[in-house]
Amino acid sequence: MGNLETDAAAPFEQSYATTNGNGKPANPAMEEEEDHETLMQRKFSAPAYTEIKTRKNAAKVSSAHRLKNIANGGYHPAKQLHLNGHAKTAVSDREFKSSQADGVLSPEQEHYQKSSFEEVPLHTACLTYLGFYLLMILGYINQLLFVPKVAKEKGRDGYVALYDAFESFYSRYVYRRIRDCWNRPICSVPGDELTLKDRVTNDYGWSFKFTGTQTRCLNLGSYNYLGFASSTGTCADNSEATARQLGLAYCSSRSELGETQLLADLERQTARYFGVEDAIVFGMGFATNALNLPSLLSPGCLVVSDEKNHASIILGLRLSGATIKVFKHNNMRDLDRVLRQAVVYGNPKAGGKPWKKIMIIVEGVFSMEGSIVRLPEVIALKKKYKAYLYLDEAHSVGAMGPNGGGVTDYFRADAKDVDILMGTFTKSFGSAGGYIAGSKKLIDFLRANSHAHCYASSISPPIAQQIYTSMRIIMGEDGTDIGRQKINQLARNARYFRKRLAQIGVITYGHEDSPVVPMLVYLFSKIGAVVRTLTTRHIAVVGAGFPATPIMEGRIRFCLSAAHTKEQLDYALDVIDEISDDFGLKYSRKPKDLNPIEY
Amino acid sequence: MLKIKRTIANLYRQYELATCISMFEPWEKKLINGFVLVILALLVFSSCVYLPTYMQTLLQFITPLPWSGKSTNNAYAPIASTQKMNIG
Repeated sequence: MGNLETDAAAPFEQSYATTNGNGKPANPAMEEEEDHETLMQRKFSAPAYTEIKTRKNAAKVSSAHRLKNIANGGYHPAKQLHLNGHAKTAVSDREFKSSQADGVLSPEQEHYQKSSFEEVPLHTACLTYLGFYLLMILGYINQLLFVPKVAKEKGRDGYVALYDAFESFYSRYVYRRIRDCWNRPICSVPGDELTLKDRVTNDYGWSFKFTGTQTRCLNLGSYNYLGFASSTGTCADNSEATARQLGLAYCSSRSELGETQLLADLERQTARYFGVEDAIVFGMGFATNALNLPSLLSPGCLVVSDEKNHASIILGLRLSGATIKVFKHNNMRDLDRVLRQAVVYGNPKAGGKPWKKIMIIVEGVFSMEGSIVRLPEVIALKKKYKAYLYLDEAHSVGAMGPNGGGVTDYFRADAKDVDILMGTFTKSFGSAGGYIAGSKKLIDFLRANSHAHCYASSISPPIAQQIYTSMRIIMGEDGTDIGRQKINQLARNARYFRKRLAQIGVITYGHEDSPVVPMLVYLFSKIGAVVRTLTTRHIAVVGAGFPATPIMEGRIRFCLSAAHTKEQLDYALDVIDEISDDFGLKYSRKPKDLNPIEY
Repeated sequence: MLKIKRTIANLYRQYELATCISMFEPWEKKLINGFVLVILALLVFSSCVYLPTYMQTLLQFITPLPWSGKSTNNAYAPIASTQKMNIG
């Protein structure tokens, strides 16, 4: 234990094991340990990390938990170091239901049976607004009376303010108070577990200091749906080999010097993955939406867009200059109404002439709501009104369907019914970039006209290799059934986690098969409290508040992964159960299923 | 004793979370809690001092005038008549 740096993880674990004071024999590392002890004390006494004590015998709970977990051969993120990667538990396949629509009921009935958007209790709604008004009022008082040194600029006399007044006010006096819950630096692979770099704030969020310690956390915040984000395994090895062979970047766009056989193979593989004619890949998922939509649409086109669509789609639509009409989230009656009006009345700016083209834009899995698009009904409407359909599968590709083929696979729909299949490689494939798949004609058009193809530099070879390898694993072309196992594990995890949460009594949004699970906490203060408390319990989650969601609907978003095991999920669920009692998160008024949930 | 303390602490935490007070800095917390306390104190004070007389005037408004012999004779009393019929 001579070198501090190489052994950084080991004393950290020990210090957790010895906080209860079971005497350890004196060893050379004792001083280090003591040092560490003080560090930990400093860390947990700082305001950002004070755990809000629990109702049920605060002191006892943690030890009881530990005992219980030990008795069960349990799991704690700070104690064990797992290897990231493949599904670890061998699960029996009895009566396993894969991620697929049942198809027994009509699509509409099945949708209503499986997804839930529970109404907010009235008193919570009132309290949320009250809290928000309080935050604003005190924020303005603060801004008048007290601006700390770090927030003042020098030598900028006469300059116009760079930021919008309300925006900067909001981020300084509302968001700043719980800023420690966002943008937290990590220092490991974001697999099933991750290592958070601890930081403290002594001035209520204006500035942060690193403590030099780390926290090993169970990771419920990454879009690592199939668990391909891993520093070991076939994917990592192949990527490394490719980096050695082909270098790190071509520093040129595809249409110039950036073209390579690997990218051509990747495109062919992507097309085969979806069962369509052709595909094109880009180096950035956001730009795939934001830069390709303007090349497909022009003024005089009509876009019918879901209200919860991602910012990249909205940006692309605004750049394109097309007319945008929004329909209510996943509401087919509203979509029908908007389409019918568009067809009947035509383009009012052109004196009622028909629109050049009408395009419906939806996402496969909505990342904030956790809901799944009602694809069979959308396709029916698209055919009825002869509109085009643009499906953004950023969150659903790999994560949905028995073969990981996205929502088209999930609903057993024909991928050719969707005109433009768009998606990213960032989430399920554990890489970066985006693709568009569709007919050969469409892809050739994009190759000639897309800004993201002509001007952006091509995908870096190791990143492309990661996509290629993980795609082959999912398709089972590597000769193993690891991909299939991962898909099944994810489906199992998602369903189990959602059912257990419903049993606990918290409100979750969305479809029961979707791996994104938003848990509604409503109040702004509760987002911060939950994220902080879960961090002290070694669980890393993502909170989402006002600018990203409506004011009313602050939420904690859990993202499940195939890399999570049942023990890990159980640990997280136990902690959530406990803290939701303390914070009053059990809003749900639905009848609870009291039977134990089968994994 | 400890239990009561814990219950109170829990209630205070719920109050802090429900009103977003837990997010504020200490001086802001004191400001808001002071404000709430002042309002509560005013409420209690006014309800002790003014409420009794208030209620009396209110009762005077609501309750009908005291019964006098004439008014009972003229008044239409359906219950009384049905009782008579039943007896008859």
